[in-house]
Amino acid sequence: MSDISLISGTDHGNISTRGIRVWDLPVRLFHWGLVVGVSTALVTGFLAEEWYLDIHSWAGYTIAFLISFRLIWGFVGSKYARFASFIFTPKETIGHIKEFARGNSAHYSGHNPAGALMVFTLLAVLFLLTVSGVIILGGQENLGALAGFISFEIGAFLVEIHELLAWSLILLIIAHVAGMIIESRISNENLALAMVTGKKKDTSSEPITMSVSTIALRAVVIAAIVGGAGFTLYQKYSAVPASGLVRLVPNETYNSECGDCHYAYHPSLLPKSSWQGIMANLDDHFGEDASLDAETVKSISAWLNENSSEAWDTEAANNLREVSPKSPLSISETPYWLLRHSEIDKNIFKQANIGTKGNCVACHSDAKTGRFDDAAISIPPPKPNT
Amino acid sequence: MKKILLVLSTAVMVALAAPAFAGAKQDAVMDHYKKLAKGSFSASRGKAFFGATHTGGKPATPSCTSCHTKSPANTGHTRANKPIAPMAFSKSPDRFGELKKVEKWFGRNCRSVLGRECTVQEKGDFLAFMFSQ
Ligand code: HEC
Ligand code: HEC
Repeated sequence: MSDISLISGTDHGNISTRGIRVWDLPVRLFHWGLVVGVSTALVTGFLAEEWYLDIHSWAGYTIAFLISFRLIWGFVGSKYARFASFIFTPKETIGHIKEFARGNSAHYSGHNPAGALMVFTLLAVLFLLTVSGVIILGGQENLGALAGFISFEIGAFLVEIHELLAWSLILLIIAHVAGMIIESRISNENLALAMVTGKKKDTSSEPITMSVSTIALRAVVIAAIVGGAGFTLYQKYSAVPASGLVRLVPNETYNSECGDCHYAYHPSLLPKSSWQGIMANLDDHFGEDASLDAETVKSISAWLNENSSEAWDTEAANNLREVSPKSPLSISETPYWLLRHSEIDKNIFKQANIGTKGNCVACHSDAKTGRFDDAAISIPPPKPNT
Repeated sequence: MKKILLVLSTAVMVALAAPAFAGAKQDAVMDHYKKLAKGSFSASRGKAFFGATHTGGKPATPSCTSCHTKSPANTGHTRANKPIAPMAFSKSPDRFGELKKVEKWFGRNCRSVLGRECTVQEKGDFLAFMFSQ
């Protein structure tokens, strides 16, 4: 398609092609892809249940891909996609905002100075959000590319920063949409529509001259490079075993002796002192006699001591180290456990296919590994008969 | 053809209805208790013991049926809601073949339910009942 035919804006009487081409397709795909990715990330981050973490992470990876693409496109894309076309001096920017506040605005074919400031701020905030997100995922959840490198503590520390960035992102989006609506009124140009069609009505705009085939070729090559590099890095680093997950040498005696009445609780779920208390009081074990001969007790105790929560850097181990002063032997009485399960209806635990709080495996399919990943949580629906 | 089927299915039904006989390993366990016991064991006394509500044990488990349900042929549930394979020997033919394991569970569960060790007589009656089921 030739760009020349579009300059006049009165060509062929075809309304859909009327206008000046200013936004190339990659810029528009980037923009609306980002809208989808960011909305998904915000909804899953703020509103959805824990087990949407998978979707949240994938939204994050998508955003990372999009902004990496955009950073390169800002140098090799068509006219108005290039950063050079919307770098303004602070003076110009302030001037534009002042004019804008007075209700008039000079015409800009591409981004105006306020819009440009918004683009750079959004890119920066999104960059920090995705980086902090991957660090948190690796540190707290032992998932993703950085699982093998980041401690729980660093992950936990960044959670608040990630949240703060997300709130500023929401404010930026509100400002962005409001500014766009006002600017559309002032300039009598539907800017949101322009981001869909790529065209502006205003015939004083200079059209982009890069041919569609050049744009397509460059965009595909950059997308392939960015996607390929991202995928390779992800593959390479996520293959590193997660830090904080010591390799547990399975103990057959433990699994059979302590797995008869309930799932054999993962040793990372209680500190040494609690395991010792449990092993010393098996004759009165949560209202039951679970006695074992002295030799078996000794061997299980030794294994539990070696693999207790102190030895792990997982989310569950870190949080469950603090036990309840009243029932220090119980996992399901720890402050963290109570907090995390406080929103679950008491009757759900009585459901025939769950039965008790201690039946972790009923709702956590990965309970045996001690990971307790968000994505592995699911409360089984009640069965009509037992 | 029909006749053959009829004969076969009757044979299967007869086989299923016949009382289960304990295997060699189970005989050895039973012999251990028989040697210690004064009298003989009775399945009906075992049945009464199994269904009775006892005192003296831990409050959550006043009876064998607390976990094993009213019939030994049913799958039971521990207090932590893990399924327990039926006690009835016909349903769980691997049961009661290892003295150490049998003693471990008699030890634990008698103390939980009765608050004391079970007598040889009680254990033998219990086993006789389970082998008859
Ligand atoms: C005879 C059956 C039995 C055996 C054997 C047994 N337990 Fe338990 N255990 C229970 C019961 C019943 C509970 C209470 C479960 C509930 O109320 O949810 C429990 C609870 C626990 C809890 C607390 C769970 C929570 O909800 O916080 C831990 C930890 C535990 N057991 C560890 C062990 C260990 C270690 C062994 C092996 C030495 C063992 N158990 C063997 C019956 C048993
Ligand atoms: C009735 C189902 C159910 C049972 C039983 C259950 N949980 Fe949970 N657990 C949940 C749910 C649902 C959540 C998520 C709560 C939320 O929205 O934050 C959760 C959250 C958790 C978390 C936090 C996970 C994270 O990454 O944020 C841990 C750790 C955990 N449970 C451990 C346990 C342990 C240990 C047991 C057994 C002693 C147990 N749970 C029993 C349903 C259950």
